Amino acid sequence: MNGGYQLTRREWFAATAAAATLTGCADPVAPVVPSAVSIVRASEYGQGLYDTVRRMIGEHKLDVRGRRVVVKPNLVEFEPHNVINTHPLLVHAACEAFRALGAASVQIAEGPGHRRNTLDLAEAAGYFKIVPRFEEMFVDLNLDDVSRVRPARQFSRLEKLYLPDTVMGADLLVSIPKMKTHHWVGATLSMKNLFGVVPGGVYGWPKNVLHWSGIDECIADLDAICPHRFAIVDGIVGMEGNGPIMGAPKPAGVLVAGRDPVAVDATCCRVMRIDPARIKYLRLASGERGFQLSEGEVQQIGEQIRTVATPFALVPEFKSIRLT
Amino acid sequence: MSRQNRDGGWPYVRGGSWTEPTVYAVLALAASGETEAAGRGVRWILSTARRDGGWAPRADVDQSTWVTALVALLPAGLVGETPHSRGIEWLLGITGRESTGLYRLREWLLGNARPSELEFPGWPWFPGTAAWVGPTSLAILALDKENRRKPSPRIGRRIEEGRGYLLRRACREGGWNHGSVQDLAYDSRAYPETTGMALAALRGVRSPVVDRALAVAGGFLGECRSADALNWLRLGLMAHGNLDAGYCPPEVLCRTLSESSLDLLVAEEQKGRSLFWG
Repeated sequence: MNGGYQLTRREWFAATAAAATLTGCADPVAPVVPSAVSIVRASEYGQGLYDTVRRMIGEHKLDVRGRRVVVKPNLVEFEPHNVINTHPLLVHAACEAFRALGAASVQIAEGPGHRRNTLDLAEAAGYFKIVPRFEEMFVDLNLDDVSRVRPARQFSRLEKLYLPDTVMGADLLVSIPKMKTHHWVGATLSMKNLFGVVPGGVYGWPKNVLHWSGIDECIADLDAICPHRFAIVDGIVGMEGNGPIMGAPKPAGVLVAGRDPVAVDATCCRVMRIDPARIKYLRLASGERGFQLSEGEVQQIGEQIRTVATPFALVPEFKSIRLT
Repeated sequence: MSRQNRDGGWPYVRGGSWTEPTVYAVLALAASGETEAAGRGVRWILSTARRDGGWAPRADVDQSTWVTALVALLPAGLVGETPHSRGIEWLLGITGRESTGLYRLREWLLGNARPSELEFPGWPWFPGTAAWVGPTSLAILALDKENRRKPSPRIGRRIEEGRGYLLRRACREGGWNHGSVQDLAYDSRAYPETTGMALAALRGVRSPVVDRALAVAGGFLGECRSADALNWLRLGLMAHGNLDAGYCPPEVLCRTLSESSLDLLVAEEQKGRSLFWG
């Protein structure tokens, strides 16, 4: 008999069971809960959007009572007749819906990447006309107070990142981008829209530090930093070709929404007839398992993708991402 | 003055102090004789000077950036000779990343041709990134002012390089945007505010690029309703004697403290006080 500790029969069974449980937790093929993504038809920017958006948000059972909600549209350029910017009616409809759900506060916040005069840009995009008391509820994220943060998971070469307090203090950050192709990353949707939370006041116009640190990787970093999110993608009229600025209008007639940004953006890609598995930032953010990228792993609410899918034209450099 | 924070600095709109609005506020207050508030602003600026000689956008950001050019625009007599000189030195030591030796070597080893627009080094917003029209224009303004005060061949050369950068980065239609001449195969469009900034930095330069930009700027001036853009357009046109003496800007809303201060400074410049060019 050696002097070492010997397991009793009971202890051996207990240890074996615990080990099996732990192994199960790390099992790469363990079942996951599918992310719910809703697709709703919407053919125009009209008053009907208010009801559509309220019902769409309601489907996801968000509890925002007493919470601080920050809505982040995509404002890029001074061209009101183009389709570069998120339509203000959709943003206002979302704000009204969150107020009706009992949010303690709803703010609209954005930090454009090229133009410094954000409120002038918002005015040109029609926000002052559509959103009552817009200036009171708006925060220019380029000029907001900032704090240094570290991503929960890091993909880029960024050594540090300063982000606006308005964003980091939000209980729910609602990304409302346009559904657009993008000449550098393939598609710009709810995750790429988070480039607008990086403060120009620190990094400049454009926020070139994100480009040098890896655009796809920085998108994945920002996804990891901002955990409490909801996405509503404006595909009523999107942009195809040389997006996000010089492309052509593409009426897709849909809104796509959900709590899981990767699943929402992957669904948008399928609507645009783009293979989400070929979008690098989606692969990075979904991790090794990539379950949100698979159509079978997304719980689709509302319209089916095949009934609304419409191919968005792609620049030659991105022909290979076409969904076949 | 009511927006001045307790620490002596100013926010853009509300909240903590930032270097940019504080510099513009100090310049505007000093120009109008409000020396006490301006002095508190200067003390905040001096207290946030970084060990490398530069300034960060805010005190809690640990990186000197483009805002150093703004601080260098402040008269040396206001901030002190040593901090001023150190700021100028910091500016002289910075270029866009595409102009660094390491980057050029990498591109050469990869066999990549060097586009003509990369011939001259500009200034970045943030160290380690590419040069852009905005920070390059501000750096030139600061160095040009210094070169008039204390002429130096080294500063003169760097100004010429920066101006070379601007002349190569003009949009085909005339004027400047943030610094991207083409967007894939399409020509990029000019912006009013950066066109004004670049024209201000190209004061005294004769070139067809400047002529085209002046025409574009004149058009922008008639249609633009952004205070930031109008401020820079007025200054840019004034730099080339192309702003009518009686020009009165339209009633537009200044949205930030920087815009209000710059509006006052440009109005002073219009009255003949040379606050930007020394």
